[in-house]
Amino acid sequence: MSAVMTIAGRDLRAYFASLKGAVTFFFLLMFMGLFFQSFCSTYLQFQEQASQYGGEPPKLSQLLTAIFQNLHFIFLFIVPAVTMASFAEERKTQVDRLLQTAPVSTIQVVMGKFGAAAGFLALVLIASAVFPLYLFKYGNPDLGPILTSYLGIFLLMAGQVAFGLWVSSMVSHQFLAFLFTAFGLFLLLILAWIAPNISSAGGVEEFVKYLAATSHLDNLFNGLLTVADVVYFVVFIALFLFFTNVSLDSQRWR
Amino acid sequence: MIEVVGLRKTFGSVNALNDISFEVAKGQIVGFLGANGAGKTTTMDILCGCIGADAGLAKIAGFEISEEPLEVKKRIGYLPDEPPLHKEMKVNEYLTYVGKLHGLAGQDLKRKVAGIIERLEIGGVQSRLIGNLSKGYKQRVGLAQALIHDPEVLILDEPTEGLDPNQILQIRQLIRSLRDQHTILFSSHILSEVESICDHLIIIDKGKIVEQGTHEELIARLESGRQFQLKVRQGASSLAAKLKAYPSLFDIVVDDEDGQKISFRTKDQDQDLDRVAREVLDGGFGFQELALKSKKLEDVFFQLTR
Repeated sequence: MSAVMTIAGRDLRAYFASLKGAVTFFFLLMFMGLFFQSFCSTYLQFQEQASQYGGEPPKLSQLLTAIFQNLHFIFLFIVPAVTMASFAEERKTQVDRLLQTAPVSTIQVVMGKFGAAAGFLALVLIASAVFPLYLFKYGNPDLGPILTSYLGIFLLMAGQVAFGLWVSSMVSHQFLAFLFTAFGLFLLLILAWIAPNISSAGGVEEFVKYLAATSHLDNLFNGLLTVADVVYFVVFIALFLFFTNVSLDSQRWR
Repeated sequence: MIEVVGLRKTFGSVNALNDISFEVAKGQIVGFLGANGAGKTTTMDILCGCIGADAGLAKIAGFEISEEPLEVKKRIGYLPDEPPLHKEMKVNEYLTYVGKLHGLAGQDLKRKVAGIIERLEIGGVQSRLIGNLSKGYKQRVGLAQALIHDPEVLILDEPTEGLDPNQILQIRQLIRSLRDQHTILFSSHILSEVESICDHLIIIDKGKIVEQGTHEELIARLESGRQFQLKVRQGASSLAAKLKAYPSLFDIVVDDEDGQKISFRTKDQDQDLDRVAREVLDGGFGFQELALKSKKLEDVFFQLTR
């Protein structure tokens, strides 16, 4: 465990030592601020219309869904930028020899790298808590949906990080890792939308929809925490970390 | 301490290692000599567990690398040809990180980091970013990284490559100072370096070990007949013609520059030297000098890897 923490701690500090850390922080917070500001004003407009002309006022979960689903798109570029160098760059500069010859197992290395990348993005999310705090200052929102939305976006991000690490472990140039990760994550994002086109057979369509992260996020954005959704993300993360481990181990034999 | 038996490795259709076997005793400095692409780095990478071998055994301190990689890695320090340095870290931060990877902690870690910084004389740059250091200092930090956990076996892949002459001398001195405390396997394609540092030599070419032993042993074994040089006062060419009558003497050549010198090889040293001396004295050529022409390691190397 201490080896995992050592590797994660070093990599986490490395994010802040490079421009990448600052740029990622800046872009994520800036987009989140933009979404928050624009959707909040729309939310207020609808609320005012509802009180003036009657009808159902908008729900908090609708506001959260709008903000976080848009953030999902931004993650398509942010997550690959964070994970692309994890293995690819170290292999190119041959710094990977340090961990290969240290008395640590491959799984410890993978967990360390995952901890660093997921931890770094979690820090950005923590910093973004300033936006919901505004809601509490000027209104009286439900805490539950906000917390489950944050959990959902964190699980999504951790899953994307695991996917990004797997891609980075297979290529030797970080730019390729960025492209392939972004493309893969995009496919995962649109799975739910293209599911009806893949097969009209009910079972297959449902299965493809189940594979898409978006269908599991909806519950969480609505304030609904289910074991099935959390298990989906945990299995997704475990599976891609396992793939990363296999990919790194197999490279020793090529 | 290091035992390698029948190691093989192919990369696609390229046969990188073909049945490599050697042993390194405790406390020895062994030079691994070969041209670029001979298989030195591949062998070292296998010994350190960076890559796996297709066949064969590689044991360090009794542990087989593919079966107990972590036990092996605890006992080795590796300096690859490109030192694995995180350029955005400061020297002392980096060494602390490597120490932690090797399971060091607390006071022990602090003591070892301070000790290695002093031993490798990098105290002056310990708070600087590694990316800003000169190549010589980077190499020292790389060596410090390999030594931080006081390993039994030290594997150094061309540690003086790309350094200026002063830095080369410093690194060589440093490696010599590690004798007795560590078993060292040291690769190089610079012959004089291997000659000056190592007790024992392994020459590798195209993935095969072509010769191994101390360098005196190698030189003696490889000379197909020892070469001697004879100097006379006059008539060297007619003397050479006379010597050619003896079947056990061969490669008889009169020196182009100094017409009084003849070099020859013999397979039967005891008999032939008497005969040569007699020919010189009886023929009145004026005996001046008869000496063993020492064979340099360069010749051995070229002869083996040509």
